[in-house]
Amino acid sequence: MTVLPRGVAQPAELKKQLDALAPFPPGVANLRYTIEDDWTGEPVIFFWITLTDEASDFAVLHQTAQRITNFIEEGLDPVGKWDLFPHFSFRSQSEQAQLQGKDFG
Amino acid sequence: MAYHDDLIEHAFFLTKLNMPNIPNQVDLRRAISAAYYALFHLLTTEAAQNWKHQSHRIRFARMFDHGRMKACSSKVSAGPLPNDPAEKLVATDLKLVAKLLVSLQSDRHSADYDNSRIWSRTDVHETITLAQNAITAWMAIREKGIAQDYLFDLMGTR
Repeated sequence: MTVLPRGVAQPAELKKQLDALAPFPPGVANLRYTIEDDWTGEPVIFFWITLTDEASDFAVLHQTAQRITNFIEEGLDPVGKWDLFPHFSFRSQSEQAQLQGKDFG
Repeated sequence: MAYHDDLIEHAFFLTKLNMPNIPNQVDLRRAISAAYYALFHLLTTEAAQNWKHQSHRIRFARMFDHGRMKACSSKVSAGPLPNDPAEKLVATDLKLVAKLLVSLQSDRHSADYDNSRIWSRTDVHETITLAQNAITAWMAIREKGIAQDYLFDLMGTR
């Protein structure tokens, strides 16, 4: 019998816990997530995070990204509590204005 | 310079092309692929070093399967940390390597096969930095017992 990951079986609960994490660390302009199958067919959670232009400057980008990643992993515990491996993608507000990607909303 | 370092350098080089204008997707996609393969080749080459006959090592390194490496790395990254402080440091580095292997592999698969995903220079730069961090973490623990166990388990032997 296939057992659904808790994050797939209880999407409303997942959203509630993620919403409760707000406010997010400085530098986050927008945050969306999707639950999709990865290349092996396993459900995973993708975080699509738009950063302010200042926070995505290459001089500080890694620090910004780590701060946000740690905040979400510690607050949500995607693997331990929701059985979903997390993937994080970042782009700047300027890039989003040019690229208009729907994932980043 | 070692091959994995060349791949990281090449990946960064690709992200800088066409600056300050919008990068070409092909350059960003190749950069993501290079970042994953930097870690992949480092680990498979390290594993092959344990093979006694030098003439077989390249063939040995080609026996690794991405799916099995992912399955093993997912388990390692989700595993608990030991209580012993010294072991904890090593295990923390190993979990980072394993977690980033899964993440970089997924990115590489998207970059190579999913043309609907649009990459940004910011995203790719951060991904390459993570690959670099994984390599640094690996180099710090490569001779430790659990790191050597990990290399063996990457083959999907259990």
